[in-house]
Amino acid sequence: MSVAPVEVERPDLDEALVTDVPWVTIVWNDPVNLMSYVTYVFQTYFGYPKEKATQLMLDVHRKGRAVVSNGTREAMERDTQAMHEFGLWATFQKDEA
Amino acid sequence: MRSTFARARGGRIKVRLGDADRGVVAGLLEAVADLLDPEVDAQADAGAGPSQGSAGTAPDAPDAPDDPSLWASLEADLAVEPPADPAVARLLPDASRDDPELAQSFRRLTEQDLRERKRDSLALAAAALRRAAPVVLDDSEAQALLKGLTDVRLVLAERLGIATDEDAEFLHAALAAGASQGGQEWAKAAELYEVVTYLQEELVHTLLPSG
Repeated sequence: MSVAPVEVERPDLDEALVTDVPWVTIVWNDPVNLMSYVTYVFQTYFGYPKEKATQLMLDVHRKGRAVVSNGTREAMERDTQAMHEFGLWATFQKDEA
Repeated sequence: MRSTFARARGGRIKVRLGDADRGVVAGLLEAVADLLDPEVDAQADAGAGPSQGSAGTAPDAPDAPDDPSLWASLEADLAVEPPADPAVARLLPDASRDDPELAQSFRRLTEQDLRERKRDSLALAAAALRRAAPVVLDDSEAQALLKGLTDVRLVLAERLGIATDEDAEFLHAALAAGASQGGQEWAKAAELYEVVTYLQEELVHTLLPSG
């Protein structure tokens, strides 16, 4: 699971230049949460259709993580906290794509 | 086989568990709520100083922002460390895995709120299960129970040392084979974990939107 991309720390100047870069919320795999429950959370919290929710759940399960939402930093903070309330482990960061 | 949960009129959820079993589940939910009590956690965290991290103190200080070094030391004073108990840390995880500053500022702003939300939700679910039979949950109680069962499983998994998907499969297989290599305590916790897992699976399927 230690395959997160290693990045050089970005200086603040950089940050000012790319203020429109959207942020993302990432959900990480864990050995406890049920596949059915994770799908349920993606369906009910994000309002995703069953197919999309299932695909995201499978990405989390097989690839170890999946981007589940994107938008402003404030929105991603809200989503991250909501995922923690559901017991999923989420993080948020600037979109690297 | 008949599910423990069934849809009743008006989207309510019937719970078909005996008094004793409901009591066990309610007890687990209450135990997790106690773990999330900030004061209990602070006692476990021996190194914790008087830093409460409460919002609204530093930013209002009129002259603080004029002195960058003072500001920095105030920020440091408000630093909130992740909980000492690994099970509690899993319930209140870092919001970044590679940016400690981001994780800490997020924790400072949200951890207290998350603790309270979880404690309220766990208490709501436990109180519903402690009602006299027949127990029928309204939507907010059913949602609280669903989340609460997750928190119970996360804590039990931490105590059982389940760190990978393989660990979880091993536990399942070991129990099925009647093994209790970790002793009585381990076997008891493992069995509870399996029961709560099964209950949660049933509840998810009862609540799942069909679309």
